[in-house]
Amino acid sequence: MKARAIRQHLTGYAFISPFIFGFLIFTLFPIAASLYLSFTDYNMFKAPAWIGLENFREMFTGDRKYWNSVKVTLIYVFAGVPLRLTFALIIAMMLNNASRAVGLYRTLYYIPSIIGGSVAVSIMWRNVFGNDGIVNLLLNFFGLESIRWFGDPMAALWMLILLSVWQFGSSMLIFLAGLKNIPQSYYEAASVDGANAVQKFFRITIPLLTPVILFNAIMQTVAAFMTFIPAFIISKGTGAPMDGTLLYSLYLFQHGFQFFNMGYASAMAWVMLIVVSILTALLFFTSKYWVHYETKEGR
Amino acid sequence: MRKVTFLMAALILAWMAAACSETNPPTSNNGTNQSANSNETGSGSSGSGEEPVTLRMAWWGSEPRHNYTLEVIQRYEEANPHITIEPEYSGWDEYWQKLGPQAAANELPDIIQMDLSYIAQYGENNQLADLTPFLGKEIDTTNISDSVISGGMVGDQLFGFNLGVNALGFHYDAEKLESLGVAPLPEAWTWDDYYAKAKEVKDAGDVYFDTGMKADVFFNYFLRTKGASLYGADGISLGYEDDALFVEFFTPLVELVQYGAVPTPDVAAQFSNNLEMNPVVMGEGIGVWQWSNQFVGLQQVANRPMKIHPMPGPHAEQGLYLKPSMFFSISENSQQKEEAAKFINFFVNDIEANQLINGERGVPGSSVVKDALKPSLTEQQAQVFDYISWAEENSSPLGGPDPIGAGEVIALLDDLAEQMNFGVLSPEDAAQQFREEATKILSKNQ
Repeated sequence: MKARAIRQHLTGYAFISPFIFGFLIFTLFPIAASLYLSFTDYNMFKAPAWIGLENFREMFTGDRKYWNSVKVTLIYVFAGVPLRLTFALIIAMMLNNASRAVGLYRTLYYIPSIIGGSVAVSIMWRNVFGNDGIVNLLLNFFGLESIRWFGDPMAALWMLILLSVWQFGSSMLIFLAGLKNIPQSYYEAASVDGANAVQKFFRITIPLLTPVILFNAIMQTVAAFMTFIPAFIISKGTGAPMDGTLLYSLYLFQHGFQFFNMGYASAMAWVMLIVVSILTALLFFTSKYWVHYETKEGR
Repeated sequence: MRKVTFLMAALILAWMAAACSETNPPTSNNGTNQSANSNETGSGSSGSGEEPVTLRMAWWGSEPRHNYTLEVIQRYEEANPHITIEPEYSGWDEYWQKLGPQAAANELPDIIQMDLSYIAQYGENNQLADLTPFLGKEIDTTNISDSVISGGMVGDQLFGFNLGVNALGFHYDAEKLESLGVAPLPEAWTWDDYYAKAKEVKDAGDVYFDTGMKADVFFNYFLRTKGASLYGADGISLGYEDDALFVEFFTPLVELVQYGAVPTPDVAAQFSNNLEMNPVVMGEGIGVWQWSNQFVGLQQVANRPMKIHPMPGPHAEQGLYLKPSMFFSISENSQQKEEAAKFINFFVNDIEANQLINGERGVPGSSVVKDALKPSLTEQQAQVFDYISWAEENSSPLGGPDPIGAGEVIALLDDLAEQMNFGVLSPEDAAQQFREEATKILSKNQ
């Protein structure tokens, strides 16, 4: 009996071993290594030298650009994510009501997200809003002055936020699925009681959608903190203008791979991990006050 | 039944492990046993029947350089059918962003175009091969003087082979200047002449006088005219004591941006990697401050006569220096160092190749190549050669290569210059920030 049970377990482990190995070698080991490196001065070529908390001290007290990149990233996340979710929800509602050709629209709206975050979209964005881009050409055509969309640090950051809002497709699909799960009978009952559309939205749709909203909020927040490609492409890796688009991960990349300060970059990564974990935990913690699950077991 | 599944799982695992270890390309045996096999026809000049060799080669530059470099590569491949060269090219910023991760992954290309600002960083971190063993063997140095070769020395190792000689200057459209009714640039001019001229041009025709100065390069020139330099000789500090020099250099330049005589950074960013969009090429600017080798490309794209003007003084001869324009380095992890060296030899010594290159990577170091090129040079290209021979008499020697961390210092200075040009940071504050942070970066070399 016992031998058989062990063999059964072994079979299980054998089947998941490809994942276990992959996880250990490609995930857990690099994470542990980066934790160690964050306490060292390491240029990737010479052996890391232990310097204790020096990287963190420099980060928090000596590095102006660091705090600027934190500021830029926080604006990007806390302006971008709510806007993106709102936009996604609006489109999802519209698609939920439309009966014909929904499949086509759903696909169309999802397209920016498939190619989204990728290099091509960022290059396109840069060209569309460049000084000689199509937007400015249109403005000129109507007799208006060109606008330097990436000329001012704040404006450039908002262009990045706009790009992220435009890529609402994946959240929208999840919202759409959530909307489809709300029984039609609730709305019918509300109509019988004389509720109008606004009341129905705030009393039925939003409460029943909160689990989906929580999920989307967490996924999008985490993703937004890690945004790298659009900032890298649009600013050509510099964070220009004036570090206005120097998102945290771009600054991390600069230190790690351009300046060879891999120890410092590792330390930055760990601070980011901790901050994102805390924010996610906060979202979860507050969720019991605003997320409604239909069944008790759902909690 | 269970035994079968267990066996299958084990097999899958074994297969995966095997697949992982197989991914290393089996290139390592190529370089060593070429002489062993002598089959095939192979009428190429460099011997017959050699095993196919693939070299990766990376460079930065603009469109004209990419085009002729690809042509040179093609020539080399035709003459050496067993060689395939895979080009990887991009603009300056992207180039260094890509090279760093490649170095970290031990995936550097075999042949790397290298700059004076980075050669110490890559060399001293054991990423570049010492080229000394190849001199006089794979790389023929008969016609190249030692002073040209030594430009690539870091310590006692040769980490890059000098591709040509460069000097700073102002490359401009004299006819455009004339058409605006502005008097020609004074021959031996001063900084004050420059500021006045720039404003005069802006007033006369609402065009840019120039497209700005690359902060680290021209600040270093300015410091040299004052008997100082950007980096200290010790490699761990700045080479000037008085922050007033910083203020003296940058204040008038910022004024020119505010005056509209020089584009703001965001406008400049639009054409940074695209010569065709450069205001001078578009007829919306007078000139460009840059290295003499870049004159060739500018001239080609603009497709009308341009001129070279010397740097402003006083003490221009003290500030001006001849700089190795760029190097070809061979990466330490290359499996094909001899083959890479042979290509470098072709690049610096072959006359036909250099007729394609045409001094675009700096005036060639080989005296034979230089003489061979002279008769076929256009009047415009000859200007570069003349300017360099003039500069040979009117310049002061360059110190060693930039210290480790120079890349980070340059990024810092570019950053501060951008903020100054946008008018959000005063040159006084920038001077202080620069000293503070650059010292921090350089002192890591201790």
